[in-house]
Amino acid sequence: MWAAGSARIPYVYTGFIARRTRDGTISELHFRVTQPSGYLYSTEKLRQLVDIADKYGLGLIELAGQQGQMIISIKPELANEAIDALRSIGTDVAATGDSVRELAACIGPALCEYALYNTLEARDKFYTHPKIYEWLSNQLFPFKFKAKFSGCPMDCARASHRADVGFIGVWVGAPEVDLELFRKKVESGELDVEKIVARCPSGAISWDKEKKELKIDGSRCKKSMECIRTAFPAIKPGKERKVAVVVGGNVKGRFGPKLGWFIGYLNPDQIKDAVDLTFKVIAPWEAEAQPKYRLGDYIMQTGLDKFIEKAGIKLEGAPFTGKKPDEVPYAVLPKEVRERFLMFAEKLKGRP
Amino acid sequence: MTSPKAARLQKVFPVELEKFLPEKVLKNYGKWVDRKYHGYGIIEHISETGDRVFTVKVSMPPNARISADTLEKFADVADKLGIGAVRVTMAGNLEILTDSLDKALKIKEEVEKMGFPVGGWGGALWGINSCTAYLTCTTAVVDSPSITKALGDALAPYFSEGGLPAKLRVFVSGCPALCAGGTAIDIAIVGQWGAPPRIREDVIGMCLPPPKALAKVKEAQIFLVQVCPTGALSLRREGDKVKLTLIGEKCINCARCKENCDAFDYDPEDVGVAILVGGKMSNTGGGARLARVLIPWLPANPPRYEEIVAVVKHIVEVWKQHANPGERLADFIDRVGWAKFIELAGLQDIFNYYQQVPEFARTFLHYRGMGEVPKRLRDAL
Repeated sequence: MWAAGSARIPYVYTGFIARRTRDGTISELHFRVTQPSGYLYSTEKLRQLVDIADKYGLGLIELAGQQGQMIISIKPELANEAIDALRSIGTDVAATGDSVRELAACIGPALCEYALYNTLEARDKFYTHPKIYEWLSNQLFPFKFKAKFSGCPMDCARASHRADVGFIGVWVGAPEVDLELFRKKVESGELDVEKIVARCPSGAISWDKEKKELKIDGSRCKKSMECIRTAFPAIKPGKERKVAVVVGGNVKGRFGPKLGWFIGYLNPDQIKDAVDLTFKVIAPWEAEAQPKYRLGDYIMQTGLDKFIEKAGIKLEGAPFTGKKPDEVPYAVLPKEVRERFLMFAEKLKGRP
Repeated sequence: MTSPKAARLQKVFPVELEKFLPEKVLKNYGKWVDRKYHGYGIIEHISETGDRVFTVKVSMPPNARISADTLEKFADVADKLGIGAVRVTMAGNLEILTDSLDKALKIKEEVEKMGFPVGGWGGALWGINSCTAYLTCTTAVVDSPSITKALGDALAPYFSEGGLPAKLRVFVSGCPALCAGGTAIDIAIVGQWGAPPRIREDVIGMCLPPPKALAKVKEAQIFLVQVCPTGALSLRREGDKVKLTLIGEKCINCARCKENCDAFDYDPEDVGVAILVGGKMSNTGGGARLARVLIPWLPANPPRYEEIVAVVKHIVEVWKQHANPGERLADFIDRVGWAKFIELAGLQDIFNYYQQVPEFARTFLHYRGMGEVPKRLRDAL
């Protein structure tokens, strides 16, 4: 039975979790240590971390992929030295509490062929931005804020569900087909065309048996990656790349778990835009949300269209944010709303 | 110009990739063109430069919590047989990188000798995520790492040998805060309290303004009142005293109050789990969606959690029997429909009884309502 405890480390405000028992006899201190982007460690760095866990703590480590590596149970009296030791090996305690939390990126171009933009670089750019840095080290928000970077629609970093603002690599239109390679793969029996056609969730793929031609209807493509996964590299993501922005997903929040809302596309080569966009997203939430409202809860409260308007976000490909029409035929309407519908009808009137 | 204080404030982040990525990965950064699978747990990444990197995926103990010594052993393996690099995955597994298939197989042998299974790719169990629960958490209801262990023992063959239609992931969260990773996953197990909390009158004052101020401050400005999503916590005047009270009928057991103040106690004997199925996070198939509650209440009986394990095994079995190859649980339920899935799982009678309760009473904010409902549910189950 743990209760929130307290720990004082001079000038370090986030990144550690203090716990005490209810009667106050036992207290614990846990460090949340930042991981390098992609969570790839050379053994040299890993050994250094292990040494710190041994020397300053109980030698117990949690390898949490989501929230930064955690070194468990630092001895409170050694906390100050432990921070120095961490900094000397080029890492630090990350974030806890109502701050910008540890950012997450999928492995991206470091080890994956599907990566549509440089997720690791994007994460690093975020970290080095002074404003994000300030928000990481101080608790200034109504609740926590998470940003995640996924390289492709398979969303390994879980940007759509677990991030307040998620950046997911996508392409526009149909996937690219290398027909020769595809034919070769079909003839050698490596690929089953019928299966590929059947697995497409929107039925966008058609196969001409006689001409041996594969056609993908770009307007119907849902970016489910099903064909690409099975036939790579004969079918590749399209050439025109974008980064889809998703806001408001969360797990722990006032109104329960939710998926994020898609609000438009960014260009993959301008990561600076992503940081600026994050500021815009945070601004109305920080100013207006009640305590312990996640961004998603705030959007639920204000409405997505109002939120986009307040935040001043203008992105290409922004979706229609209107709600479904009402089911009841009676309502008290203000005059201007009635006039708008009237004007719509007036315009149609003169047509043959 | 930097004072000691300013220097102290300056956090150091591992942002220079060159320092952290192993040489072979750095050389082929962004140049990967293909991948091949070599049995469960070994994957080959092929670069356009002709370089190959093999990763061996090793399952970690529940909550991915290991001792420094064990991690050092893994580092030894990675040095001896690999290219001196390991990767921590989102699912709490550890990947050891190497450069040839022979070495990868040797790593597999070595790691299995240490007692860690290798697997988790393709049509297999990819790992079970667990929150920390009693190890560090202030709100934990059930001991999720031990549930993870019990489940892992039962599902272990699926991890190392596969045999499932598609990927399967399980999240075990100890309380409704869902720290194991949310509900957008094939099977999510979530710890639940059976009844609303009791306020500890002796310490609740710590989380409220002083009594004199409390009488003047508007109710909506009290932090604990703001935190409660249903308005179950409210101020009541008793004589000339103002008290924070909890309206049991409104409470949905979300534990938002307990998370923010340690003055709320739940009955530790009256705990259970809900089992949610049919969610997923990736955009494959029908796209991302949240899971839905299949079993709203099961008792959590340590140490083996037989009830939970039996139900999860049953769900996996139903999915395995009826799904097309390559179809995840979410897509399978999408194709056959929820009604059919509930029938296949043999739950139709229970659901007929359960769903006689009006929907607003049964679920609110994804969690069960209070009042008569839990009793009827428990009778039904």
